[in-house]
Amino acid sequence: MINPVFVPTGVLFGGALLEIVLGGVLSRTAKGWLAFLAAAIALTAALAMIPASIHGEVLTATLLDWDAGIALAYHVDGLSILFMLIGTGMGSAILLYSVGYMAEEEEGTTRFYVLMLVFIGGLVILVCSANLLMAYFAWELIGLCSYFLVGFWYKRQEAVDGARKVLIITHLAGYGLLAAIMLLYVRTGTFLWTDPAVGAAFSGAIILLMIVAAMAKSVMYPLHTWIPEAMNAPTPVSALLHSACYVKAGVFLIARMYSIGPWHGVFGNLLLLVGCLTMLVGSIFAIAQTDLKRLLAFSTVSQLGYIVTGLALGTNLGIAAGLFYAASHALFKGTLFMCAGAVQEATGTRDMRKLGGLSARMPVTSRVWLVAAAAIVGVPLTNGFVAKWLLFDAALEANQAVVVVVAWAVSIITTFYFFKATLSVFYGMPAHDLRVEEIHEVAPTMQIGLGITGALCVVFGFAPQLVMQPVIEPAVHALGFDWQVQVTWLGVLTGSGTIGVTVGAAAVVVVAALFGVGAYHLVRAPAEGHPVAVFTGGDPLPEGDTLGAADFAEMAEAAFEPVYSLDPDPLYLLIWRGIKDAAAGARQFATSGLERQPVLTAVVCAAALFAGVWLL
Amino acid sequence: MDLIFVGFFAMLALAIGLYVVSVPQDGQKWWGLAAVIIVLVIAGKLIGDSWVSSLCLDLAELAAVALVWSHGTPEAAAAGRKYLYSIVPAIACTLIAGSLVGTGAEAPGPALQKLVVGLLIIGFALKLGLVPFYFWLPAVASAAAPMTTALIISVVDIATFGELAALREVSPWVFSEYAPVWMAIALLSMFGGALLALAQTELKRMLAFSTINDMGFLLLGLIIGGPAGIAGASLGALNHALSKVILFGAVGFAERQIGRTVTLDTSGLAARLPLAGAAFIIGALVFIGVPPGFGFVAYWRIYIAATQFGGPALITALLMVAALDLLCYARAIHRTWLGPAEVPVTGAPAYLAPGVLACLAVIAVLLGCYPSILTAAAGPGLLAMAQ
Repeated sequence: MINPVFVPTGVLFGGALLEIVLGGVLSRTAKGWLAFLAAAIALTAALAMIPASIHGEVLTATLLDWDAGIALAYHVDGLSILFMLIGTGMGSAILLYSVGYMAEEEEGTTRFYVLMLVFIGGLVILVCSANLLMAYFAWELIGLCSYFLVGFWYKRQEAVDGARKVLIITHLAGYGLLAAIMLLYVRTGTFLWTDPAVGAAFSGAIILLMIVAAMAKSVMYPLHTWIPEAMNAPTPVSALLHSACYVKAGVFLIARMYSIGPWHGVFGNLLLLVGCLTMLVGSIFAIAQTDLKRLLAFSTVSQLGYIVTGLALGTNLGIAAGLFYAASHALFKGTLFMCAGAVQEATGTRDMRKLGGLSARMPVTSRVWLVAAAAIVGVPLTNGFVAKWLLFDAALEANQAVVVVVAWAVSIITTFYFFKATLSVFYGMPAHDLRVEEIHEVAPTMQIGLGITGALCVVFGFAPQLVMQPVIEPAVHALGFDWQVQVTWLGVLTGSGTIGVTVGAAAVVVVAALFGVGAYHLVRAPAEGHPVAVFTGGDPLPEGDTLGAADFAEMAEAAFEPVYSLDPDPLYLLIWRGIKDAAAGARQFATSGLERQPVLTAVVCAAALFAGVWLL
Repeated sequence: MDLIFVGFFAMLALAIGLYVVSVPQDGQKWWGLAAVIIVLVIAGKLIGDSWVSSLCLDLAELAAVALVWSHGTPEAAAAGRKYLYSIVPAIACTLIAGSLVGTGAEAPGPALQKLVVGLLIIGFALKLGLVPFYFWLPAVASAAAPMTTALIISVVDIATFGELAALREVSPWVFSEYAPVWMAIALLSMFGGALLALAQTELKRMLAFSTINDMGFLLLGLIIGGPAGIAGASLGALNHALSKVILFGAVGFAERQIGRTVTLDTSGLAARLPLAGAAFIIGALVFIGVPPGFGFVAYWRIYIAATQFGGPALITALLMVAALDLLCYARAIHRTWLGPAEVPVTGAPAYLAPGVLACLAVIAVLLGCYPSILTAAAGPGLLAMAQ
């Protein structure tokens, strides 16, 4: 009898195995349905574990002896279930979307579905594992899947360049996690994080190393630069990478560190700083983008800043905010990516300068996009609003006013660049070379996939208690924190500064709206015949001109010029050049010195060795 | 563990044989010499720790020199000479050392001890191509047929390393009392090999230098000793053998198909040779220890041993070398195999050779996913780790 705890893992890897075995027989569509079925069963199995976690039960089991007594042991608590649901839930929706998306792909569909299932399965192992070595194994398995999936179109230079960056940055940072695990093992003699000895040894460099590994995975500044380059992957890959299975692995690690042992203090403040910086940098870089998926990639960077900031607060409310934000982000970011993929599928481009007016041709996609965009911006009645509300309140309660100001400013910037994306893609006049008459809605499975996740953004905005009480609360308890959130229809009551926060927030909204209206009237009303009246950001437009993504990008680049110099890529390039120079120096030394006189070199070195031995 | 090594060598011999049926190397002579090498190595392992076993391995080394020579080009002859000039003194050193200490179970007097250890270090450094005695290995890799190099590295060198591992258990004093000198050679090979590999543009030379680097890594495991160190080194040697057949095989197959040497400027090979490309990519990732490959099973043990022995400083050094390996192989994968195809394929289609390499790559991943199959069979030495 298989322990139900292993069902999600077994079904996902079993599905991957079936894909391999039946790959030559099944059609592309059938492979897609098979993968979806596997993910859906895994989701169902994960949902079935919720009642146990509500009652505070921890499900434990040992599947197999992986290597010389090191077992694949599971410790499934509320946190594991939350992330399992994110992985299998978003995975199911994205795989359903993939059925249509991959139907026309001529080669590699078996490889695609196998990797997608292993990707999700890797996340499940990571979040369930009680054994740190197996967790690292899963951590790298996820990394490897993302590497192969980002480079899925391996004959295209831009795709493989992106994949290389993913591999290098995240794998190198992953050594931090490995070193931390090794140090913990040497101090405690166990790989099980559930062992109290591990908690006692959890300090100093070990914490820092884990944070560095998590930073690279969850795209924290300055280790975020791989994510925009990973955009040349198939859209389902981008969606899964951004919403569930990759960036969330880093978030999971940061959260799980609370279960392992006390670590907050200085490291919490450091992470708070990194989170705020990431929020800002991500959003400012997002403004300047003209590629829809790159814009979404930078918005992921920014949103992950919110999530990590919530977790870094290290308070009851902060943890609840961070975890709810992680679940919400999975939904709205997955939806946005699926919409972007639908646009690319329908038009052949994701360059916002070449798009426009798609709402009439793609009504379902555009409406779902609007919902998800509203959620990421934090419009009330969406899950994004609840998440932001909770986070702001958590920061206020923790006396972190700077965090509130930064998060608030970033929300405004987020609104700004999502307006830009929405108007550029779905509204206004279509670009000249866009063959509008040939554009139509994408396949029904794609619409259903993005529709489900989009709808959930609203459902969890209306009724956050549906996810708060059964999923987030047990996860918060699993990390050793108390549940301090009272959930109602349409929002949350935190019981801390409720009236003040409500009045303050309402005042901010009113002031912002008045400011916007005032600025609009002061600068310029729309010229006659303009299809869309927009606030330009300051300077009036020339008569008869329209506003596009490029204008916003140029304005933003000019306004935020100093921020763009914070791009760490030149530093990485410098390090790479330094390594290459060292290698060239070693080669020069070897060829002009050692290898030119091999006999002499060997004799001299042998003499030196003998001398060394003699001196010991 | 010896039986596992024998099993591995037999599997690799079969794989190399099937590969060479599809991609001929150097005619009948090659088959004869390769068979002699395989038989001698397997016989040496089966005989166990004795002078006959050492003699078998030494004869296998000399047969390997002849195999390099059999390629018939002036470059191969020059490489063969370098190999011979290294192997003969190496054999002399290890034979003299062996004759001076007998079984070696007990440490001799201080003066003799120092002489023996000095001879052993030089002998094994020459045989394994460690820095600064590495000259023959890149030359052989560049000039000989790819499967010749694979046979030398994956069978002869690994058997020699196995001999060193056996020495570690029988005569621990050789290592424990002279650890700084062994350590210096290991670290020099690790860093030197990694940097020199990174500086290469020809793939076969890069693979040769990465062998030097990895041998330093494995030697470090042996020097540190303990269950983790020795098990890590032994499993690492098996991983090295398996991966290098895949890597040299893939490059050799590509060279045959495109009719020229594979360098970092040979872009997009996987577009033309997908199976060989997949094998190379998986082989490379397994080799450098990325989970779920077999390499990780070896390396985590060495990392544990290094952390126990040298603390954060040594684990940092090892991870720095691992990072250099990653940079080196990622560059090779991306500049040679991936991206748009730029080089036409002129060779006749062949499926057996890439198929064999793909099978080996699958085995390397399966062993990483479920290493208990192997580690449980290896006996209590490896299981002691968990206790």
